[in-house]
Amino acid sequence: MLVKETRRELERRFERILNEHGAAISRLAYSYEAVAGIREELGQEIALAIWKALPHFRGECSERTFVFRIAHNRGLTHVRRRRPQQKSLDDLEEVDEPVDPRPHPDEQLAQMNQRDRLASAVQSLPIAQKQMIVLMLEGLSHAEIGEVLGITETNVRVRLTRARKALKELMGVMQ
Amino acid sequence: MTNHRMTEDHELDLWREQWSSVALVSPEFKRQVQERIKVQNRRFWLGNLVALAALLGTLILAAYQITHYTSRLEKGQATGVFVLFFVAAACRLWVMRGTWRAETQSVRAFLELWQRRVLSRIRGLQIAIYLAIGWLVFCAALVAANWATIRLELMAHPAALSAMMVVIVVMLPLIWRGAMWFRRHKVAELNEVARLLEEMETMNG
Repeated sequence: MLVKETRRELERRFERILNEHGAAISRLAYSYEAVAGIREELGQEIALAIWKALPHFRGECSERTFVFRIAHNRGLTHVRRRRPQQKSLDDLEEVDEPVDPRPHPDEQLAQMNQRDRLASAVQSLPIAQKQMIVLMLEGLSHAEIGEVLGITETNVRVRLTRARKALKELMGVMQ
Repeated sequence: MTNHRMTEDHELDLWREQWSSVALVSPEFKRQVQERIKVQNRRFWLGNLVALAALLGTLILAAYQITHYTSRLEKGQATGVFVLFFVAAACRLWVMRGTWRAETQSVRAFLELWQRRVLSRIRGLQIAIYLAIGWLVFCAALVAANWATIRLELMAHPAALSAMMVVIVVMLPLIWRGAMWFRRHKVAELNEVARLLEEMETMNG
């Protein structure tokens, strides 16, 4: 009976967490994965990881920090899993002839609105900067970002400044 | 410095506002899709139950006919029905591969499952048309093989057999029209699923 109640309680908590942070999880998955279908699967993986970790959560940090920490870890695992298939930006620049039949990237970028530019720029950031920026955009404080990423607040400040600069530059390039 | 700080904060606020609408599927769209998937899922299982009941009923009837009837024509017809329904069931199971459950629990996975189910129905209909042609050929062969018996029956009850022929002649185009309507209906459904998938793609960015 006790086990059943605990499970019900967990299910309620899990549902509440998904209601409160579901949109943030989708956005975080967006920052790690550009393909919509795979992105949704990543979102599911994150939700599953939260469900698995929930019984061990003892409130040492805020629920939001707990959710973001798991989400980022899953995002990193996802990137590592996909990395061998991907080319770095430098590799892509070395390709002489464009193989993509779509319009030139400059033309595509010109059509993007502000939101799309921001989203694309976040996706293009290196992982470490992407993590900082996503957490900042999700409204986490410096202390919370430090908790999620396991670094000091001072370190967060320094890295955040650099990440923000990189984001601005990328958005500028996309203009 | 203060001015710079304010500009940055304003910029951050703007970014946060823009970021909050990234990768969001509208709740209304999600609700609509989930509702349709629920209806489609109910229809899928109901259709399977009806098909299973029809298969079992026909097989029992055919088995009864084979064991209880003595004429070659009736036994041949019952055997034909038996074989036809086994083949039909096997074909149905074959075209339904990958349509039993979604790969993940996401809305997209369910939409893709819906798409696969509609495609399997269209393929199933194509196979059913071939099976119907096969059945007509089998019936013609059976009639030819048992013509002596049928001729006697024809002479004994000409009106009843003529009426049966008329019914068959009228039924065939009706069945054909029904099949074509079903096909059109499924193609429209397929287009709808494709549109929903596309809409979702647009929302996801």
